[in-house]
Amino acid sequence: MANSAKTRFATAHNWFRSTWTENPLFSTGIALIVMIILQTLALGFDYPSFGVWFGTWTQNWINILRNNAAIGIVALGMTLVIISGGIDLSVGSMLVAVGAMLMMLIDTGPKGILLGLGLSGVPAYAVAILASLIMGAALGGLTGLLITAGKLPPFIATLGTMKIFRSVTQQFMTGYNPIVPKPFLQIASFSIGKQLLMPIIYWIILALIIHVIFVRTKFGRQVIAVGSNEKATKLSGVNVSSVKNRVYAIIGILVSLAAVLQVSRIGAMDYANAGSGYEMDAISAVIVGGTRMSGGKGSIIGTVLGTLIIAVMNNLLNLLGVPPFLREAFKGVIVIGAVLLQKKESLS
Amino acid sequence: MGLTIASLIKKKAKMRVDLLNIYKSFGANDVLKDVNFNVQGGEICALIGENGAGKSTLMNILGGVHQPDQGQIVIDGKVVQFLTPADSLNAGIGFIHQELNLINDLNIYENMFIGRELTKSNGMLDRDTMIAQTAEIFDRLGLDIDPRTMVKDLDSSYKQVVEISRALLMKASIIIMDEPTSSLTVTEIQRVFNMMRTLREQNVGIVFISHKLNEVMQICDRYVVLRDGEIAGEGNIDEVHTGDLARMMVGHEIRVISLQREKEDREEALRVEALNDGHNFHNISFSVRKGEVLGITGLLGDGRSELFQSIFGAGTSYRGQVYLHGEPIRIINTTDAVEKGLAYLPRNRKENGIIKDMSVLENASVVIWPYISKFGFINTVAQTSFFDSQVKKLQIKLAHRNNLITSLSGGNQQKVVLAKWLSKEPSVLILDNPTQGVDVGAKEEIYDIILNLADEGVAVIVLSSEAQEIIRVCDRTLVMFHGHIQGELSSSEMNEHEIMRLATGLEEIQVR
Repeated sequence: MANSAKTRFATAHNWFRSTWTENPLFSTGIALIVMIILQTLALGFDYPSFGVWFGTWTQNWINILRNNAAIGIVALGMTLVIISGGIDLSVGSMLVAVGAMLMMLIDTGPKGILLGLGLSGVPAYAVAILASLIMGAALGGLTGLLITAGKLPPFIATLGTMKIFRSVTQQFMTGYNPIVPKPFLQIASFSIGKQLLMPIIYWIILALIIHVIFVRTKFGRQVIAVGSNEKATKLSGVNVSSVKNRVYAIIGILVSLAAVLQVSRIGAMDYANAGSGYEMDAISAVIVGGTRMSGGKGSIIGTVLGTLIIAVMNNLLNLLGVPPFLREAFKGVIVIGAVLLQKKESLS
Repeated sequence: MGLTIASLIKKKAKMRVDLLNIYKSFGANDVLKDVNFNVQGGEICALIGENGAGKSTLMNILGGVHQPDQGQIVIDGKVVQFLTPADSLNAGIGFIHQELNLINDLNIYENMFIGRELTKSNGMLDRDTMIAQTAEIFDRLGLDIDPRTMVKDLDSSYKQVVEISRALLMKASIIIMDEPTSSLTVTEIQRVFNMMRTLREQNVGIVFISHKLNEVMQICDRYVVLRDGEIAGEGNIDEVHTGDLARMMVGHEIRVISLQREKEDREEALRVEALNDGHNFHNISFSVRKGEVLGITGLLGDGRSELFQSIFGAGTSYRGQVYLHGEPIRIINTTDAVEKGLAYLPRNRKENGIIKDMSVLENASVVIWPYISKFGFINTVAQTSFFDSQVKKLQIKLAHRNNLITSLSGGNQQKVVLAKWLSKEPSVLILDNPTQGVDVGAKEEIYDIILNLADEGVAVIVLSSEAQEIIRVCDRTLVMFHGHIQGELSSSEMNEHEIMRLATGLEEIQVR
């Protein structure tokens, strides 16, 4: 009897070990579950009824998801970039650049561009959003060209564009404060059952789209191939430059969507600080989600889980009353811990 | 100090190492089954066998990389245990891996002393002594190299030599050399062999792991053949022929003669005229017909890989004209080349052929993705059916198509790389070193595949530095030397001597 229990335990143990090492999503998922349990405990159970407790718990979660939707969307693009063997440090600055152009287009003040052209309301918003997407794709594509045609290392190329995008935007927008029309805010603030769920919905939809592109399309598979072995991929007739350019264009588009979301949530933009640190937060989420830093391996689902792990941890630290200055340290610990866990996988 | 080094090499007593009843398994895979092996100072012992026969595992046990499940390591009659590579090194065993362990951006002497640098009493590096000791060893080995030379400026054979010298510096009495000649030219190989002979005279024992039976016959005193983790034969080299060794390795007879194929003159598939990139190849003109197997051979550095990578759109730009089926074409990149019906199986499978993070299925499909996708989505049903038909055609042995490519043996990996091209049904197939790192059995299978493809009307170009391979499969061969076509040989004119004569620039090769 005791013996069979022992063997059963051994079998379970072996299964756990092999799944842990073979499937990075498994360890990431478990880490998230542990986080959620800790967070639930920290939230406490001192409520008059189960309904009140559940309401508080859900509300807390909606807040977490909404507050991290923008970074979550950027991280989706960052996943593709990192899997392709690159990195993009310019996302935060690009977000500001696209956001600034978006606000100039929809400005209801005297300098508003679309208003000047006689466009207002929904058509103006549609044009403005489309223009933002095009700008994001163009800025991303430009970064891609620096890397492929200019043969610059991605770190250097995007370090450069990071400085350029923000600096030029700041200079350009000095003394100009566009007024974002109220109806535009509905994009993020349209409420469903008195809850502001739109950012979360955008995030989920985009994650699904990028996941399907990554897993099912020729392009998605070529991204892994390029990240794993660029030379062999090129020699297999794949246009490696084109794949990379498209990867950077896609992250540009996702950044511009995050910019639309930010502008419509806040109705203004602080050009000096908005989006700053996004690159590191997005990279952290990607790494915690089990994507290999040197490329060739990773998943979109992992990145969503990674984003949530960091988000829940922030929330947990908040609930526990850890001083804000110290919270970044925990983020650091989580990133290092995640990579240490992955190390084990690559050694076996 | 100098004196000790001199004495260390000269007066070395003969050391003897015995591996007794070694068993080793990885998971359910029994790699070594009751293997006995010994080597002693003053002899060169060949350790041969197909890929996966257990050679590397056996030597990794001797080198302290792996520990045996059962069995003993005995040095000069004393049982020892090697838990780490350092233990093995301290016991006097130097392991020179196939991938050399040198740092290109350091000097020779810095590489020799890396990790155990000599310092003066003030804590600064004692460069002079390190240089002197390095020179001392080079002197003993009859080498004329400045220890201050940067390693990146050395050719592969001298890098090999530096590794060997480093092993000697660390007082190695037994040196394991894992396929040391795989990336060397003929002259470089002779240089390494000369050094091995010198070491033998100085009572150093050498284990020589190799696939190249000719080299084994040339340099070794004794041989041990491993097959499926067991000893398949051992004895003195002068009592056997290469054919015997090959038979022991594969366990059955293999063909070594060329097949004279029935040929009919078919129309031209690929013709190039006066190709020149100003650096790697000059004034190259040739043509290949449908159903023909054209060989391109020469020594390392003859420019053949560069030539065909350029033709395939992956190399340097060139002047000259390429014709495909009589039409002049200009290939701008590899995507273009694939669309036009060219296929190129690159040399160095690990670096250029396989994508190690992808499955067997995906590795076999990467070329045809653009052709089986609708709106960018891959048709997985088509993908699988293409794959299954290739697995059947090429007899690829695999556990599951979704396993990583790296789970396959070298021969099967190469077949997968071949499969990804055959799915596209190319009209011109360029194979660069198609049997590199492939065991003897799989080699024969690949030759059969090449000949079958030619029978189906594919124009096949085989790039190889192995004369035997060229003789075995090609209808005609071009021999290159320093970027020029030095000569052309028909199947009746082909023999190793003639190929080598052209490959070395029409000079008689020195016969040792």
